[in-house]
Amino acid sequence: MLTGHIRGPWTIAVYTWREGMRKKTLIGFLILSILVIFGSSFITAFMTETTVGEAQTDTQVKLIKDICVTAISIFGVLITIFISASVVPNEVENKVVYTILSKPVRRFEYLLGKFIGVQLIVIINLVLMGALFCIALYLRQPVAPTLLLWSIFLTYFEFLIVSAFTFAVSCAASSAVLPTIAGLFIYITGNLTEYLKDVANRAGQTGQWLDQTIGYVARGLFEILPNLQNFSLRNQILYLQPNDPPRDVLIPNLIVYGLVYAVAGYIIAYWVFRRKEL
Amino acid sequence: MKKYPSILFAVLLAAALVLGSIQGRRISRLRDSEMFYRWILAEATQYRLFPGFKAPGAEPEEQNMMDRPLFREILDVTEKVLPGQNVTDEKGNPLKKLIAVTSDESQDKVVWDVVRSGALAKQQADFLKYLREKKLASVASEFDPNAVYGEQRANVGIGNIFFGFRKVAANFVWLQVDRYWHQGMEQRMLPLMKTCVALDPSFVDAFLVGAWHLAYNATAKMPDTPEPLKKYYPQYGARLGEKELYYYYAIDFLKDGIRKNPRNYKLYFDLGFSIYELKLKDYPNAVIYLSEAIRHRHDLWVPRQLYIAMELNGQYEDALAGWRDYLTKFPDNTTAPRFIERDKALINEREWEQALERARNARDPAEANATRTEAERLHDEVLQMWQALAGSGAEEDPYAVGRILRMKALKLIDEKRYLEAIAVLQNAWSKSGSFADEALKIIIDVKLKAGIPLSVSEKKAVMRQQEAEKYKSMPPEAGK
Repeated sequence: MLTGHIRGPWTIAVYTWREGMRKKTLIGFLILSILVIFGSSFITAFMTETTVGEAQTDTQVKLIKDICVTAISIFGVLITIFISASVVPNEVENKVVYTILSKPVRRFEYLLGKFIGVQLIVIINLVLMGALFCIALYLRQPVAPTLLLWSIFLTYFEFLIVSAFTFAVSCAASSAVLPTIAGLFIYITGNLTEYLKDVANRAGQTGQWLDQTIGYVARGLFEILPNLQNFSLRNQILYLQPNDPPRDVLIPNLIVYGLVYAVAGYIIAYWVFRRKEL
Repeated sequence: MKKYPSILFAVLLAAALVLGSIQGRRISRLRDSEMFYRWILAEATQYRLFPGFKAPGAEPEEQNMMDRPLFREILDVTEKVLPGQNVTDEKGNPLKKLIAVTSDESQDKVVWDVVRSGALAKQQADFLKYLREKKLASVASEFDPNAVYGEQRANVGIGNIFFGFRKVAANFVWLQVDRYWHQGMEQRMLPLMKTCVALDPSFVDAFLVGAWHLAYNATAKMPDTPEPLKKYYPQYGARLGEKELYYYYAIDFLKDGIRKNPRNYKLYFDLGFSIYELKLKDYPNAVIYLSEAIRHRHDLWVPRQLYIAMELNGQYEDALAGWRDYLTKFPDNTTAPRFIERDKALINEREWEQALERARNARDPAEANATRTEAERLHDEVLQMWQALAGSGAEEDPYAVGRILRMKALKLIDEKRYLEAIAVLQNAWSKSGSFADEALKIIIDVKLKAGIPLSVSEKKAVMRQQEAEKYKSMPPEAGK
């Protein structure tokens, strides 16, 4: 019974992954990211040799790290948004969804399979980009990049939140365009959530009811909406000392944070999808 | 519930969002604590190493800054919270517990635990309040406080919204700095270097290379400022010309880097070695910062440089103990045994000089004879040690050769054989680079003592020295 509940979504997930990996846009993003990651090693060639040999190498390593982390963030989030926004609307558009749902597959299982499939695509892309990043870094400085792996790991949980909410929007949409725009919007607003805290802190100074109401609304939104700025630890982590106590506490908390909001996103997605007329 | 699935979903969603909110609050509190913790580390380092230092851009007359009052409050609270009693430093001076704990990198977890325990909750709230109100001088600079202590929040996100582009931008600014350096446009580099570290305060190499440019390359073509043209700078406690001011800019730049990256040994090392030891020949300060460098995770050669600075500062016993310790840790090292012998010889040489001085000043002839005999014994012993170190031919050690000739000259001076002493010193001057300055100084002293005419270059050296002494003895106001 349970095996059946797992096998169904897993088959759909693997199918989604295979389908997704064939998408030209996705491959395009991946190739671009690979070019940038490898290109980062060549950018350092613009630095002419100075007499400070060791500082020179460290600066080159830093350049590679910063460019690669940025490239992974940009292309990773684009891949995440693009794939999360398109898997369900495309199947509705191609009418594949009717064939699948006419079989003994529940909507919940179908959606779970799709969501896991999206995550597989995101993870594999991230692993690919991360591996190339590690190679580029290792060629310059042959030290095992442990902190880098933590950074990439955290990046995934940020993408997980973006993916879950974009996926939820895509379940309500009939084409991939709107969810893609919504995904970008989610990513940008998720990074601006910290502003709401600032607004809440500053509101209420005039004592006017409108001012205070704005403060309450901002505080409420800040409490509920996911704050993607929390994941910026991934940038910081690369330059922290190996024995940094706050980092060790923050990482597990951020993982839980990512998972909780992913569940929230999935609940919305299923809520919308179960009522969708197909 | 099956009848009302929407309610079930609403409840589930609300539960997930509440959980997310609780977790978000937890992370927010952790990040506040993290900022506070990092500030404590940075402030404790400043408190211990450079109490008078202010961040570049912070006005000295700023009155309402709360760094030190807040930090003193923290020191008082942590005295009760942290374990241990009567904490002292290496020299036995009493030390606040927090200062002792923060100076040991392996105890960072203790500080973090105290921050998280809530014992400093009031101070943390004050810290966050002052941070918002920009009342912390240590962060109220041209650099954004959030960028320094709460980099992750980078002025509430605007910088980081574009995927952390700020760090990448800092790298590209650095490429431009590099280009200017190779085009010989040092003055154009300086503002860009500051932009670079403002964009990315964790860019340690920008601080290192920037300070190197300031102390060395930016001033390479400038002539030394004549004494009368120098001005007194109270913040540095020194009379400086345009050229010399750059050295202090480099010091400030590195100190700013230390404030932002208190756990990075390279900044302490460069401040101690490149600036204080090599450029300013300020060995006491070199020892302070190199000692600080080895407190943190460091490379193998860092302690070696510290022991050399100790030797230059006349701390032969400390240097000897350091080298012995180094040899115990790294028995294959070939440098340490040589320096151990060298420091032993330097200790004995100092004892010989002291015995010679005592013999010279002794009023009782019997005592004078006894001391002189002791001095003779020490002289022979030290000479043997230096001769063993000096080697011969291609492997000749110029330092040991210089010390042998120095001893020979001092002995001749003691016997009032001045012309011979000068000849020996001139020989030493040409043979041993490390002894050259001291040899010239002794030659001048001997000539003045014996009434022998000075050469033109020696006269110039005396005039320079007299001029420096004249201005040094003037009150700061007079030199302004």
